[in-house]
Amino acid sequence: MRMDTVSPMDTLEDFIAHAIALEEDSAIRFDDMADALDVHQNHEVTVLFRKMAHFSRLHLAEAQKLAEGLTLPRFKPWEYKWPQAEPPETPELDATHYLMTPHHALVMALESEKRGHAYYAGLAQSHANARIRELAQEFAEEEAEHVALLEAMMAKYPAPPADWDEDMDPPVSVD
Amino acid sequence: MDAVVAKPQSFKSDLKPVWCPGCGDFAVLSAITRTLTELGLPPREVALISGIGCSSRLPAYTSVYGFHGVHGRALPLASGLKLARPDLTVLSVGGDGDGFSIGGNHFVHACRRNVDLTYIVMDNSVYGMTKGQASPTTEADWTGSKLTPEGPGLAPFRPLEMALSSGASFIARAFSGDPLELTRQLCAAIEHRGFSFVHVLSPCVTYRPEQKGWRARVHGSFEAPTADRREAFLRLLDDDGFATGILYQGRETPFQPTAQATAPVAALGAQFAV
Amino acid sequence: MTLSSVSIALTGSGGAGVMTAGQILLDAAAKAGFYGLMGRTLGPQIRGGESAALLRLATGPVDGPDDGYDILLAFDWGNIERFQDELPLNTGGLIIADPHQGAVPDIMLTGDDIRTAMVPFHDLAKPIAGGRVNMVGLGLIAALIGLDPAFLLDRVARQLAGKGEAALEASRAALAAGAAAAADIAGVSPLAAPAPRTGDRWSITGNDAAGLGAIQGGVRFCAAYPITPATDILEWLAPNLPKVGGTLVQCEDELASINMIIGSSFGGTPSLTATSGPGLALMTESLGLAVASETPVVVVNVQRGGPSTGIPTKSEQADLNIAVNGLHGDAPHVVTAPLSIGDCLFTTQWSVHLAEAMQTAVIVLSDQTLGQSRAIIDPPADLAFVGKRRVPERIEAPYERYAVTADGVSPMALPGQEGGAYTGDGLEHDPVGHPSTQTAHHQAQLDKRRRKVEGFDYGDHWAEVDGDPDADIAIVTWGSTAAPAREAMARARALGFKVRLVAVRLIHPVPVDRLRYALSGVSRVLVVEQNHDGQYWRHLRAHMDLPGTVAALHRPGPVGLRPREILARLQSQ
Repeated sequence: MRMDTVSPMDTLEDFIAHAIALEEDSAIRFDDMADALDVHQNHEVTVLFRKMAHFSRLHLAEAQKLAEGLTLPRFKPWEYKWPQAEPPETPELDATHYLMTPHHALVMALESEKRGHAYYAGLAQSHANARIRELAQEFAEEEAEHVALLEAMMAKYPAPPADWDEDMDPPVSVD
Repeated sequence: MDAVVAKPQSFKSDLKPVWCPGCGDFAVLSAITRTLTELGLPPREVALISGIGCSSRLPAYTSVYGFHGVHGRALPLASGLKLARPDLTVLSVGGDGDGFSIGGNHFVHACRRNVDLTYIVMDNSVYGMTKGQASPTTEADWTGSKLTPEGPGLAPFRPLEMALSSGASFIARAFSGDPLELTRQLCAAIEHRGFSFVHVLSPCVTYRPEQKGWRARVHGSFEAPTADRREAFLRLLDDDGFATGILYQGRETPFQPTAQATAPVAALGAQFAV
Repeated sequence: MTLSSVSIALTGSGGAGVMTAGQILLDAAAKAGFYGLMGRTLGPQIRGGESAALLRLATGPVDGPDDGYDILLAFDWGNIERFQDELPLNTGGLIIADPHQGAVPDIMLTGDDIRTAMVPFHDLAKPIAGGRVNMVGLGLIAALIGLDPAFLLDRVARQLAGKGEAALEASRAALAAGAAAAADIAGVSPLAAPAPRTGDRWSITGNDAAGLGAIQGGVRFCAAYPITPATDILEWLAPNLPKVGGTLVQCEDELASINMIIGSSFGGTPSLTATSGPGLALMTESLGLAVASETPVVVVNVQRGGPSTGIPTKSEQADLNIAVNGLHGDAPHVVTAPLSIGDCLFTTQWSVHLAEAMQTAVIVLSDQTLGQSRAIIDPPADLAFVGKRRVPERIEAPYERYAVTADGVSPMALPGQEGGAYTGDGLEHDPVGHPSTQTAHHQAQLDKRRRKVEGFDYGDHWAEVDGDPDADIAIVTWGSTAAPAREAMARARALGFKVRLVAVRLIHPVPVDRLRYALSGVSRVLVVEQNHDGQYWRHLRAHMDLPGTVAALHRPGPVGLRPREILARLQSQ
């Protein structure tokens, strides 16, 4: 963990570089998870994860648009300043399960959006740079919309019964 | 470096991993592709060599040259390739069973031999491909396997101590839940000249779901790498198995015998003339 | 009367120096224009054990030992009972021994018309400062067989290079003392004068020849783990590979050595290792990997007595079964066997060519007799066989590493080639190389891997076929037993028999059509080999029907098959 190294970014370019990395990483992780669920024949969740990846890429495009005309810093992956080990909107890998339901997928997505919102809201409140505060506020509002959207969707996908992960068949010996 | 910066995704192949959703190895794969991107290595000049096991399936999921050998023999494969083709960047990947049990002898001697390659072990303390048996790094009292219903009853192998005492010149530990730190370590490991061992705690969600708790247990106490073996050993004496960071980076000379031809082949027969 | 061939055994223990004396004698004879060979038998001690240098000198090329020895020179009789069966004497044979070492043991006197001569080697050496018994013995033997001592002195001087004039003088005196003692021994026929030498001759062991063959075939990487009697190949390659820009690495075990050469070969470097039975057994899993991943490798297996640790210092041809059948699954690969000491060079070089051309594993079945015997040969002609792998010139996406081709060989991209990245795999795979459990992929890949080794054009090198075109009987043999078989055929033909010899270099796949053609017209076949169970005989019969009446002559080591045993079977069949 590099919590001790977290510090607010200094310039607009830094901020946008982070916004790009945040969405990019989220898109890649959702894609990876979609692939994994696809291999495990969980098509409903595959579709949901692909959607999430798609939204992340839309936001990525917006962030990239902001970067037009600017020279962004080139950070190494570990030089970004995130509040946690991974960028805030990157869903946690170990929350996936081959039998997971759309409900679980939405919970994961919701958590990632909430982390994204908290990240931007924090910057909007406390950053010294007014332009960063302004953009962070915009982004936080957008994330709030996503949170609301996901919460609305959750209504359609209530929590599954407690035995959702039960598999009658034993695991397979592969190699 | 190319004018257009390659994206990590360009190091992934179109073959999708068979790993269980949630497996830590996904993060390792992604850290490897990110590392290769970061280092600006052309995919054609990189080779990923593995043995058998869940994590050993990794090479085919990348767009670099790969070789998926037999159980336990990834390191000799990788060493042979690097010794014959020093121009390539050679990485070897595998699991704790492949590397520390059936391949244990090769691990010791690869550390000793100090060929310039990077060995990434994804350690989940279990044999996943054969339905969850105890591995060399499994806790003595783990009763989750039918093969050892009372637990393996053996103290777990300590890979970092083994690597250090065997002569590895770069030793690090990372957690798959912190892929950016892993990427940092892998970049340093590949850039290091010599045998680099990166021990990755990579949970098995199927047979060891309790390993999700590793996130709360890992800590970055290795801090800055040391080049002092005594200091490294001292740190390992205090190691609870969850300390992460680059432990040791020595300056031992890598093993790479190279010879410039000094004679035509046809001249060799002369030594037999009588 | 003069002889065209004379066989001499020098025995001694505790540092008598019989091996050095034997090689000096062989090389001096070569210098004088003779051909010859020298085998050896050794006790289990690392130093000071009983040992024998087993020489045959002749006016023409010889590939193997005679039935027995004409002269046995024993510096002492230490542990003679352990290996006396390896020292049979020809009728009328002469035993020369030192009276201070006791009487000639009775077990040595069981042959016909054995004569003895007592020479006090130790007493003769003692008055010469720095004089050694082996030099006295050498001087004696040279005088008996009519070898000009100048040739001996020349070789001794090379042997002692750097040890000073005094050492050379001591040897000169000891040689002279031995020559003088020869005057008291009557009734030994000297060798006939050889034809004048027209060029260089080589003095080479089968193991060194295999090493040279490897390099000539293109091998530039060798991973090594020591094992008797294969270590000499590795030790020859260690200083010689770097001369041509190659590398040898010592490994932690045979599992590492076979996998290292698979790794280096994956990188495009023709690669080889050498081992013996126990090491080959360890390598079989990974040989299957080389077959499945279509990675060319060559393993020279220098056979010794088996099973298990067996008789490590002595010869047998008993690894055929594991070499042919030791791999799990249907794993087509190639097994070859050199037919003489000198042929270790050609067969190894050819095997590198085969491995590279077919992208598969080739096992070369040499043995201790070939590997650790030294022969005087004419320098081999230049051979065009250099390993050449089919590599794609232009790669179009998607690159199919395991493309199903007509001849079964798929162009192999090498790391560094743009667009060629693939994952070599021991898992069954589709043409691209992706793991597959599909019936159609499995069938197609099994088919192509078999097709490439069975459809390959091995040319005329599959065997040496010799003898009478109208023969009624054929000897079929392989590896080191080709030498006594060749000699048995010559003797049989001298007696008026019509005989053909088929000495097979390509053990597996069985070249059925070529064998059938080579055996056409015969009504009797005798399969000859040195192992207990008749492994090659069974292997042949599993693959084809041999013509007419088939008999098998097979017995285990360590004593090699002799021409007279084979001749006797020819006469009785």
